[in-house]
Amino acid sequence: MDQPLYMPIPAVIEKIEVETPEIKTFRLRPEKPVPFRAGQFVELFLPGFGEAPFTPSSSPKITDTMEITIMRAGRVTAALHEMAEGDELGVRGPMGRAYPIEEFKGKDILIVGGGCGVGPLRSLLLDLVDERDQYEKVTVRYGAKTHESIVFRDAQARGWDVGGNGEGPLDVVLTVDQEHPDWDGHVGVITTILTPEYLAEPPDDGIAVMCGPPIMMKFGTDVLLERGYRPQNIYLSMERNMSCGIGQCGHCRLGKYYICKDGPVFTYEEVRGNPRLWDD
Amino acid sequence: MHWTLRDGCGLDDVLIQLAKGRDVFAPIEGENGNFILSKSDGWRSGINTLAPYRQTEPLKALFFPAREYIGRWKDVSLRSPMPKRIVFGVKNCDLSSLGIFDHVFLHGVAEDPYYAEARRNTVLVSSDCSSHRDVCFCPAVGEQPWPEAGFDINIAETPDGVLLEDGSSQGAMLLESAGDLLKPAEDTLVERVKNQREKHYQALAEDCSARGLKPGSKLQEAIEGAFGDGMWARYAEHCVECGACNFVCCTCHCFLLADGMDENGEAARTKLWDACLYDGFARTAGGGTPRPYRAERLRNRFDKKFSYFPQVMGRFACDGCGRCTEACIANIDIRDVLKDAMEAAAVA
Repeated sequence: MDQPLYMPIPAVIEKIEVETPEIKTFRLRPEKPVPFRAGQFVELFLPGFGEAPFTPSSSPKITDTMEITIMRAGRVTAALHEMAEGDELGVRGPMGRAYPIEEFKGKDILIVGGGCGVGPLRSLLLDLVDERDQYEKVTVRYGAKTHESIVFRDAQARGWDVGGNGEGPLDVVLTVDQEHPDWDGHVGVITTILTPEYLAEPPDDGIAVMCGPPIMMKFGTDVLLERGYRPQNIYLSMERNMSCGIGQCGHCRLGKYYICKDGPVFTYEEVRGNPRLWDD
Repeated sequence: MHWTLRDGCGLDDVLIQLAKGRDVFAPIEGENGNFILSKSDGWRSGINTLAPYRQTEPLKALFFPAREYIGRWKDVSLRSPMPKRIVFGVKNCDLSSLGIFDHVFLHGVAEDPYYAEARRNTVLVSSDCSSHRDVCFCPAVGEQPWPEAGFDINIAETPDGVLLEDGSSQGAMLLESAGDLLKPAEDTLVERVKNQREKHYQALAEDCSARGLKPGSKLQEAIEGAFGDGMWARYAEHCVECGACNFVCCTCHCFLLADGMDENGEAARTKLWDACLYDGFARTAGGGTPRPYRAERLRNRFDKKFSYFPQVMGRFACDGCGRCTEACIANIDIRDVLKDAMEAAAVA
């Protein structure tokens, strides 16, 4: 970015998609393209109000716009949710370390998503599907609290929703925590669809990419290790309060890393042993 | 290169010459043995002093101000250039602290242009500590009460004469500009300074040892090993999270990138000093925080200074200046905290 340090580029909200009662996807068109790689984040700036970090959920191959899926959770996100198509905000970025997608080539990849954490995973998936023949099996296991809070129903529209019988480009299974008469799919927390019944044993170099609330990543990591994934092949996306986004303000420190510059993507190998790892 | 005063020339004359054309920041004596940094147009004989030890304000305040206006969103021109400055009487603890700031603001993902400009425009004239405050403990963190590096010019006063040393090409040039007031120093003066330094180090190291913190103490192992100990909860009972330690600390660098409207109603950004002891420091959307307890925040600050920085930079982010001890409303002495950590972790 050749903007003066700390100053965002203006961007217009081109489209707002309501995904669930709490989650909207904003498609932004920045004044200049902000090319990012899956896993990196941007800081969205509400002029005079505040700023917060988000990971785009759109394909990295599309550079003139970016889609960001945002749950209303606090002050800045509540203000964002009040905005309308045509409104202007600012973007700083991209920042951070992306998923090392070149290292995934030729391997089996498992994508495990929880709730709104599917944002960066969708961006990665779109990249993988785009060059599908460069990867072996691509498996998706996604869990949400209720059937209404499942994000990105475009899985069905894109022909991804297969159910694990080997057809189509991906093997997708969804689950929700809570039963509901309108839902006839699997019910149970995400770890219930990572069992041998739902997931084959990984090869030695099997890659797992997981993103979701800390509690979900904590239990998910335990299960993945049990199932045979190696710590250096389990990719997590960590979060802490951020301010500058470039490793100077001290807010996002996690052990010996700053999440904004050394992450947000980390392998479990890199962050294990930190007693504060899963603090919320 | 080592210089001393020509016969008949005074140190004040040299300092007045060095300061020409620059804004001056130099110590003046305050109350109760405190020295404060004062801004003026030139070196003022009889008012300014090089001071026997560090002044109250951390040097970081000149390079990383407590409140720094960055600019308006839609008007991205940089603010007006900083005038040339010179700081006198800088002590080693503060000089060493700039190493932390250079690492954070110059050698990371991006260079902070405001900090870089401040560094470029500022000449640092340091001096040996001729005595120390009762809170000083720099030998315990691997430092010493005189500068070895990082200065443009260092001044060591002895009963036998004043030794001036250049530490950079800029310092060398400046000393040459005072060339008619200076002459090369004899080896005997250099030796005298060396002996004086060793004596002072011994005295200060003894004070540290008397508090349980001899030089070379394994402080990183201590802080890491004391992670689960009850000492943090004990200190938290007294700590009021005022943040004073964060603010006066010469190496604390955390800030908040703050948003607001300026007087014209335009969106503007400001950098503000922030304090990791505050419970909102690490707050996430919706009110969560990874460190809800004050004991955790206290421990986290020590973890950053004595575990994070050794892992990332090979040094502590603490220079033993003792300002935190003086500032603490609850009378928490950092030397006690470190000593307790060593006991809890069973290291020496």
